[in-house]
Order: sequence, then C-alpha cells, then structure tokens
Amino acid sequence: MKKSRLRVIAPLALVTALALSGCSTANLGGDSAPDGDAEKGPIKIGAVLDVTGVGASLGVPEQNTLNMLAEQLNDDGGIDGREVELTIVDNQSTEDGAAKATSKLIESDKVDIIIGASRTGPSLAMRPIAEAAKIPMISVAANVAIVEGSEWVFKTAQNDVVVLETILNDAKEKGYTKLALVRDATGFGEGIADYITALGSERGITLVTTESFEPSATDFTPQMTGVRSSDADAVIIWGINPSAGLAQKAYVQLGVNKPVYHSHGISNQAFFDAAGDAANGVIAPMGRLLVADQLDADNPQREVIEKFKADYSEAYGEQPSGFAGHAFDAWHIAVNAIKEAGTDADALRDELEKAEFTGISGVFTMSPENHSGLDASALILAEAQDGRWNLVKD
Amino acid sequence: MLTDFLQLTVAGLSQGSVYALLAVGLIAVYTVRHVINIAQGEFAMLAGLGSIWLVSAGMPLIVAILVAILSVTLVAIAMERLVISRVKNLTPLLSIILTLGISTLLQAIMLLAWGPEARGVPLFPGTNLLIGGVSIRSQEFWMMGALIVVGGGIVLFYEKSRWGKALRACAEQPVAARIVGISPVAASVLAFAIAGFVGGVAGVVASPIYLSLWSGGVLLGLKGFVAAVLGGFVSFRAAIIGALLLGVIEAYVAGYVGSGLRDGAAFLILILVLVVRPQGLVLKPTAVRV
Repeated sequence: MKKSRLRVIAPLALVTALALSGCSTANLGGDSAPDGDAEKGPIKIGAVLDVTGVGASLGVPEQNTLNMLAEQLNDDGGIDGREVELTIVDNQSTEDGAAKATSKLIESDKVDIIIGASRTGPSLAMRPIAEAAKIPMISVAANVAIVEGSEWVFKTAQNDVVVLETILNDAKEKGYTKLALVRDATGFGEGIADYITALGSERGITLVTTESFEPSATDFTPQMTGVRSSDADAVIIWGINPSAGLAQKAYVQLGVNKPVYHSHGISNQAFFDAAGDAANGVIAPMGRLLVADQLDADNPQREVIEKFKADYSEAYGEQPSGFAGHAFDAWHIAVNAIKEAGTDADALRDELEKAEFTGISGVFTMSPENHSGLDASALILAEAQDGRWNLVKD
Repeated sequence: MLTDFLQLTVAGLSQGSVYALLAVGLIAVYTVRHVINIAQGEFAMLAGLGSIWLVSAGMPLIVAILVAILSVTLVAIAMERLVISRVKNLTPLLSIILTLGISTLLQAIMLLAWGPEARGVPLFPGTNLLIGGVSIRSQEFWMMGALIVVGGGIVLFYEKSRWGKALRACAEQPVAARIVGISPVAASVLAFAIAGFVGGVAGVVASPIYLSLWSGGVLLGLKGFVAAVLGGFVSFRAAIIGALLLGVIEAYVAGYVGSGLRDGAAFLILILVLVVRPQGLVLKPTAVRV
C-alpha cells in the first residue's frame, strides 16, 4: 500500500466527482429557429423549470403541462394564425442554471416571454436578467420577493404571506399560541420566520423555535429532535417534496406528537410517496385542484379545474399536481395577454398588469401594484387522509 | 438533552451503517485492483430504484430487493469484465477517470429509465421503538442490521474462508499469489461482485427513509470514500468504525451546529485525515490488512 500515492489521488477523486455533479447540461427544449420579424413568424415562449434536481417533483409536471398546452394551442391554429414555439430549459434546480438558461432564452432564442422558475431561489436569480432585458417573466414559485417592486416579473403561485395568514388564522381558532417552524433552507423558506413573528404578534402567537433543512436533506432527526424538546403547541413544516414529505415521516416516527401544518409546497402525490401513512392528519393550505371533487357545484374554478384534470390525465396517465396548476395559469395568462397585445414587450407587460383569469390556483386579478394577483380566497385548508386531501375549510 | 444526544447518535449510527457498506465495497475493489471506484454510490441508487420499479411491477418486496441486489452485483461484474479488465497498465488515476465515466453513464441510464424524481422503497416490516424518549425507527434497525450481517460477513469471509484469504493474498503479494495458483481474473471478478453486492444492500436498506435518486449516488459514494480513507483504504474494520464515526459526527454537526454544515463536516474530516494522518484509523500503518 503506497500512502504517498493515495495522498495524491484521494483529493483528485474528490474534485473530479464534485465537478461531475455540477457540469452536466440538459436542454430539453426545442431548437432555435431563425429570427422572424417582431410581429410575424412564430411566437416564442421560453420556460425555465426545475426539471431535474431537488425541484424535480415541481418541474416535471410543469413541463408536462406546458408541453400539453402548447400542443393544444398549435392544434387550434396558434395565436392569430401564428404558431407558438415553446422552448423549455432545465435549470437543474440551481440558481446559476436558471440565470444561464434565462440569458440563453433571451439572447439566442429571442423569446417574447419567459415562464419560470419552479422554485423561489432560481426565480430570484432570473428576475434581474429579465428586468435588464425588459422581457416579461411569469414565475410559478411562491415567495413574494420574486415580484415585489418589479416592473417585469409576475407570478402565479399563491403568496407565502397569504398562505401563512391562512395557517395562523386556523392556529388561532384552535387556540395554539406557540409555534415551531421547520423550514426549507433555500429561497422558499427565506423570511418565513420573520413573517410568522410579524403576523403572529397580531394574533397572540409566538414562534418559539426555528429549524431548517436543505431541500436535498434525507435525515431530519436533528431538526425533529429540536422541535420535540420545544414547548410549541403546533408545528409548521415549510418545504417542498420529497424533503417536506421525508420531514413529515421523521416527524411522526420520532414521536413529536404535536399538530402539524405544511405549506402549499406539498400539494402533490410526491408528498404521499415520501411520507406514506405519516401524512395522515397533516393540514395544509392549498389551491382547489386537489379537492376539486369536493367543491360546491357553482364554484367558478370547478369547470376549468375539471377540464385540466381530464386533459392532463389523458395525456400523462396521472393526476396533475398543484404545481402543474401554477404552470397552467402562467401559460394562459401569457397567451391571453399575447392575444390582446401582441409580442411587443412593453405592450405585453402592460397587458399582463390588467390580466384577469379564472385559473387552477385561484381567480387572478393582476394590477400594476399586485403582480401576483391572488388573495386569501385562492386558498382552502385541506387535511391529508389515506393518500388524499379532504377539504376542511373553503 | 441526553435524549436529544442519544437520538442524534441513533440517526448517525444508522446513516453511518450505509456509509460503512459503501466503504467496504470501495476497499474490496481497491485492495485487489487498485481501482478507486467512483461508481460505488451508483450501485446503491441502482439497487434502490430497481427495487422500486420491480415492486411497482407487482413483485413482492423481499423478492424485488433480492433481484435488485443480484442485478447490481451482475452490473458490477459486467463493469469489471467489459471495462476495467480490458485496460492495460491500469493506474489509480486512470481508474478514477474510467469509473467516473461509468458513474455518469449509470446516472444517465437511471435518469432516462426512472425519471428525475426521488423515490423510496416501501418500508421494511417492523415496528418503531421508543426507549426512554429515544425513538428508533424500524428501518434504522434494518440499516444497522445490514451492516452487522453483510459487513460482518465479509470481514469473516476475508479472514476465515479460503477465497477470502486468496483475495488478501492478491492484495498483499500479487506476484506470489499468482505463483501459488490464485487466478487474478477470478479475484478481480470476486472483488467487484462484493462491491456491487454491498452497494446494492446499502441502497435498498437506506431507500425507505433516505430515498433513491438518479443523482444521489455521487454524494453517498463520497461519504463512503471518506470512510474508506479513514480505513486507510486497506482495513475493513477501521473503515467501518470510521463510517460510523462519520455518521455520528454528521448528526451532531447537523443537530448542534447547523444542518447546512452536515456535508461540510465529512469533507473537513477527509481533508484533515489526508493531511495529518493518511493511514486513517489504521494502527499499524506498515502491514496491509484487509
């Protein structure tokens, strides 16, 4: 055994393997067609999604949805006879991947509008690029920081502040005064503790402890141990799947035994896949998609949700998730605005600020001040039971 | 506080058991062929994703797991026969490049075959225990049990059985081993079979709580690598102890310092060991012991 040799090769192996994990590229989208005149030729819609990596459970259904809708639209003759060309780029759930993809879509594909990204972190990385190029962007992620104060950026997922208010109102009704938070350590969970402290003080609720986890985490013992020994009345787990589902599983297996809320980041089958029976009893605010069969017959969203569910399950053989719904809404808001305003960037942006749309995640009313367009009425509270969501409060 | 400490220790030991199995695979191959197998972590993911696929195709859990482990063992043997054995003058550096290529290929196949989403094998049968406030999950017993049975079995195999002694002979004195009639080809195939087998076992026992993901093998393999370095890349026993230590240290770092630093702890240990004590935890650095 030659030690000196090992001393050289060991770090080398490390470096190569680390380099490997960050250097694969995947362009899942189409080809770059020659440039047409601004108001003729195909309409180009770009999308940057977390198709691989920690956001895959969000990005894959979003990609499916956009592909399906683009095909439907082109089969119906496109927009004003112009074909719609959709280019989807995988950002591998990374911030720099999202930034690069955005630059590529703007500079070489010359897209008219960008949809994405799936998660807050990559969306925040895209925002300054879209703003500098003055290209409208519609994120499908949650954190309000994505759109706050932006002229060019919109989003379709329900705001995290509204989600937290829904949770805190329910907690107050049930008489919980001390909450613990276990949050995603990336953009999606950023600032959540501060919001809970601020929104909680109006409701007599204090945040007693905060734990965080990486979205790639697999072991949640340290976080749950911290929560277990706290004096919280109830716990909020704030993350996306699979990590949020795994956290829920660890929560139950480690016997924390406190009521638990999750965010709208878990509204998909991946939650049940990761958490299994441990999901039972979880309460989460979410859009109406997953409880569509339990809605009142006259609910304005019911028709659009049912058509989407039927189309999606026919195309992909599975039920769409809440994230597919965010992509559906972004696509339609974009297409409706292009139908009205064409592809001139300024006109398109102005049109997006006037957008009104009854979609999957809620009834949108955009305005120059509100680039998110959804309020608390977009959310319901649902309880998980045996692999499905039951509507508890509409 | 003591409860928290013990809880973290349990999590660390079960996580460490998985690292230990991977380290055993890395050392088995390194001692015989001087190959540093970057694809070791992929063996684990392949077995996990393979089992999930077989279960979803209707196979009972136990059969699916056995078939998956066996298949991964065959993949490891195929890797030895089709790639490693074809290379003349195989240096460790060349082996890293080759196995890195195989690792990337396996990842791409897993991504294409099973998609980008993380999935878990169904939980193995068993009940969770709560002892004095410390909860031990049934799957954690399976993970630690796998190390005791499979890891222990391989250590015994090397020390007691004729084939095991032959492998040690190849590691210590390759020329002399050949002279006394030990086939280097058979030894090499056996070493890769062991690597595939332990990788597969690690992958299926960890999958129910830690999930399997096409790209998850890189980090897992690196943790196994750190453990193997702690074993000086020669000693199974030292590597197993090192792996358990690594798991526990990671859990303490995540619990008491910050969960974001968990992976950093492993690499800090790696750097410190390589600089300060390249023979790892091995006490007698002169002799090759496997």
